[in-house]
Amino acid sequence: MIRRKKTFSDFDNLRRKRSRIRFDFLLFFLAIAVASFGVLIIYSATRGTLPGGVSDPWFYLKKQAIGLAVGIVLCIVIQFINYRKIRKYWWLFFTAGICLLISVLFLGYEVYGSKGWIDLKFFTVQPSEFSKIFMIVALAAVMSKWRGEKIQRVTFKKVAISFAVTLSFVALVLLEPDYGTALIYFIIYLGILFLSGANFLYFLLILGLTAGGFFIAFNAGFIKQYQLDRILVFLNPSISTEGAGYNLYQSKLAIGSGGLLGNGLFLGKQTNLNYIPEHHTDFIFSVVGEELGFLGALIIILVLGVIIWRCFYIALNSSDSFAMLLGSGVGFMILSQAIINIGMTIGIMPIIGIPLPFLSSGGSNLISVFLGIGMVENIYIWREVRKDHEIAYQEFR
Amino acid sequence: MNSNIKIRFRIVIYLLIMVLIVLVLRLYFLQIMSGQLYAEIASESITREKTVTAPRGNIYDRNGKLIVKSIPVTAVAVEPHIVSKNEDVMEALSECLDMPYEDIKEKVYQSNLSYIDRLILKIDIDAADMIYLKENSSDLPGVEVVDIYLREYDFGLLASHLLGYTGEIDKERLESEEYEEGYEGGDQIGWSGLEEAYESILKGEKGKIIYEVDPLERPVSIKEESAPICGNDLYLTINIDLQRAVEEILYQSILEVRQKKDSSTGQYYNVPGGAVVVLDPRSGQVLAMASYPTFDPGWFVGGISQTDWNYLNDPQNYDPLNNRAVMSFPPGSVFKIVTAYSGLVEEVITETSRFSCAGVWLGLGKDFPKYCWNKSGHGSLNIRGAFKNSCDIYFYQVGYGLFNKFNNMEELLQKYSRIFGFGKATGIDLPYEDGGLVPDREWKKDYFKDRPEYSIWFPGDTVNMAIGQGDLLVTPLQMAQAFSIIANHGIQFKPYLVKEIKDNQGEVIMENSMAQMQDLNLNQYYLDIIEDGLVQVVGPGGTAAYAFRNFPLDEIAVAGKTGTAEFVGKQDYAWFASYAPVGNPEYVIVAMLEEAGSGGSNVGPIIEKIYRYLFNLE
Repeated sequence: MIRRKKTFSDFDNLRRKRSRIRFDFLLFFLAIAVASFGVLIIYSATRGTLPGGVSDPWFYLKKQAIGLAVGIVLCIVIQFINYRKIRKYWWLFFTAGICLLISVLFLGYEVYGSKGWIDLKFFTVQPSEFSKIFMIVALAAVMSKWRGEKIQRVTFKKVAISFAVTLSFVALVLLEPDYGTALIYFIIYLGILFLSGANFLYFLLILGLTAGGFFIAFNAGFIKQYQLDRILVFLNPSISTEGAGYNLYQSKLAIGSGGLLGNGLFLGKQTNLNYIPEHHTDFIFSVVGEELGFLGALIIILVLGVIIWRCFYIALNSSDSFAMLLGSGVGFMILSQAIINIGMTIGIMPIIGIPLPFLSSGGSNLISVFLGIGMVENIYIWREVRKDHEIAYQEFR
Repeated sequence: MNSNIKIRFRIVIYLLIMVLIVLVLRLYFLQIMSGQLYAEIASESITREKTVTAPRGNIYDRNGKLIVKSIPVTAVAVEPHIVSKNEDVMEALSECLDMPYEDIKEKVYQSNLSYIDRLILKIDIDAADMIYLKENSSDLPGVEVVDIYLREYDFGLLASHLLGYTGEIDKERLESEEYEEGYEGGDQIGWSGLEEAYESILKGEKGKIIYEVDPLERPVSIKEESAPICGNDLYLTINIDLQRAVEEILYQSILEVRQKKDSSTGQYYNVPGGAVVVLDPRSGQVLAMASYPTFDPGWFVGGISQTDWNYLNDPQNYDPLNNRAVMSFPPGSVFKIVTAYSGLVEEVITETSRFSCAGVWLGLGKDFPKYCWNKSGHGSLNIRGAFKNSCDIYFYQVGYGLFNKFNNMEELLQKYSRIFGFGKATGIDLPYEDGGLVPDREWKKDYFKDRPEYSIWFPGDTVNMAIGQGDLLVTPLQMAQAFSIIANHGIQFKPYLVKEIKDNQGEVIMENSMAQMQDLNLNQYYLDIIEDGLVQVVGPGGTAAYAFRNFPLDEIAVAGKTGTAEFVGKQDYAWFASYAPVGNPEYVIVAMLEEAGSGGSNVGPIIEKIYRYLFNLE
């Protein structure tokens, strides 16, 4: 087919296209829908058992709803900033993320042996959640096309800088210590590296370094055998019902007893009787499985899958490599957390305490996920402006 | 975007889809394929079952007098597998119940080790403790305040051997098949006597509460509840007033006999114990059954104290827990009724056969002289006279004759012993009834298998058995049954103690009828001859004449037989078996005293007094 030359009428068409609101409603509303459902299921999980010694059955619902509102507002607010403008300030994001993580080491308080939370009187903040976003911005900036580069290419320098950035984040999170979140950081990095088009030799190098570091840490006694046992308990099918295996056993009992349609919202026996520890945070999916059954769980997985797909789809169709890596970073963040979290509740992933995006109780997680969604929407909104303009300009000229 | 990046994106998306499929498959396996199983396990893991003890049935006498009843008491029960892991709970219990912490810990650990599901820690706690424990139940997982039922005995020691006692179920029983269903640790069960024999009737059915607990074992909600069903009541054949009279007479007589001396050795009679059985020969109902020494079943209520337990097991007290009415002893001359009947039926003797007694009989050879109890001899006697005088020489010869008939191939004396019910338990509704022993060739061969020279059945064995000696052992109850066969002219009834069973609504659910009756088809004429002899025993010149000297025999004819059984290394065992009134027998009474010398003079008075009581004579 012979390609037709573009005309003025085409330019009009483009103009009209540009005036249309560019916003991925599917992503945005799916995110709000699943997060709203999260508020409901958190209410179901906490109204009777009241974890943390609160007396108000609506406490966690309210908290989560506020988090959701803040997340949505932030998600919309950041649309007014063109993502390209923040690129050159990536070091600012890097510094901010590092500062947050350092501050938690000094100001934070401990929950389950991990110093991950800062108490700000009216609410608590989990800095490692926000730092994820900052790290994604920094990594995307480092790995994308530098000024002067004709095409985006992955040099040793880029890999070295990005690895250093990641390492500083991961190291600080490990100091809390929060192994689960550190693992997520690492997976996000590997994902960004992969989609930036890096040579596989770099992967070998990085994985080799990590494995070596882990080996040394284990032998030096930084990682204890019981921690390893706890993580690897899912590999042993004949789980002990005490200790490390208890959570998993109860979670599997709850999910399994849900059957096809579940016991009904608010009607989960194991949930209401508080058999699953942390069922409003890390084990929220057990509540979904018990109360809504296979169908409910399937829908949640599908929705999360579509959200992740939209992130990658928007990233792939963005107009520059920075946007592409930014969107993918968010995609990897949601993907890694969702899969590991759901996997651990059903016994096919190690039990590391990470929240399920959109669903687990916790404002920091919810807000940071919505910031991520906001960033993806942002690259979608600002996607074609320059491209269209350039095309139009070229055509016009 | 260059194509390399696009391919990498595609890889990521494919990986995502694959992982999501794995998650969904895993969920499918968990929820759809094994959902049922998980649901069951989950429901099991959060539901608990608690039982509510049912009151044990009451026991009444034949006239409806309440003998044993159940009274509720509050007790503290713990589940050892929960409490053993929680020292705070044990400490709280120690403080509340005023029990040493170490004791509680020891008990709980012991029970936990032996997998006992419930342990009664303290019985009969006061109201303040009960309220405290109930109010703080959420802080005391595995601790429960329960109602249990304990026995109360309106007649104290009376009939204790019959009634038996109750106590907490032990580990062996909990694990046995018999107590598999419906029992748990801390349950009160019948340990002996009727309490044990009728355990399944008396125990009732426990109520059940199925409830749900949270992970700290705190009850959350009740799912199902059923009320306990009271145990059934027993109505005995025993007349408790007669029982009291019999026990008093037995006790008094034993005290009297203990004042007497054995004329040959000059020693006081030991009389460690004795037994009396009063039977209604027309039905087999046991009207009274006494055994001495006795015990108070109340001692066992709520756990027996160490002092009481030591008392019961001290050999100096001659085993008060044993029911001597169903234990076996050498019968002595009382057994001669069997020898006489065998001899008459097998035509070894006739009604008029006479044997001469010179105090010694050399029928077994000069080296084996057999003596009569009366060394001066009885002269020439027929069968009636032999009964009257209890002449051993007469019965030796009957025994010898029985042995020689068919060369003892048929073991005739053993055969008739068994017809009269000896050698096997009567089947009365009491546990641990002794079957006694009718020795025969087989038994001897087996018993002396290590010493072949003793393992042959000698003519002397039959001769000894003919007068109720040798290895023959019978229980007072068996003897009573044999005498009711004579009294009934051949009709045998199985003796029993429970007349009827009523459920908690008062409906009769089981009535012991005379279905266990059996006509032995004995020769009526020979039985009449024996009865004649037995009547002469209590008459003038008989071996029990002195005991019945003041008894109005012309109004109430009594048939009886004395027995004085020798026992190696011990004083003689004294027996007296009887029935009355002759012709229309209403009562069979058998009494036996251990190591008490002559049956005629030392046991005869017991029987005479009981007849006086029964026939309202003064």
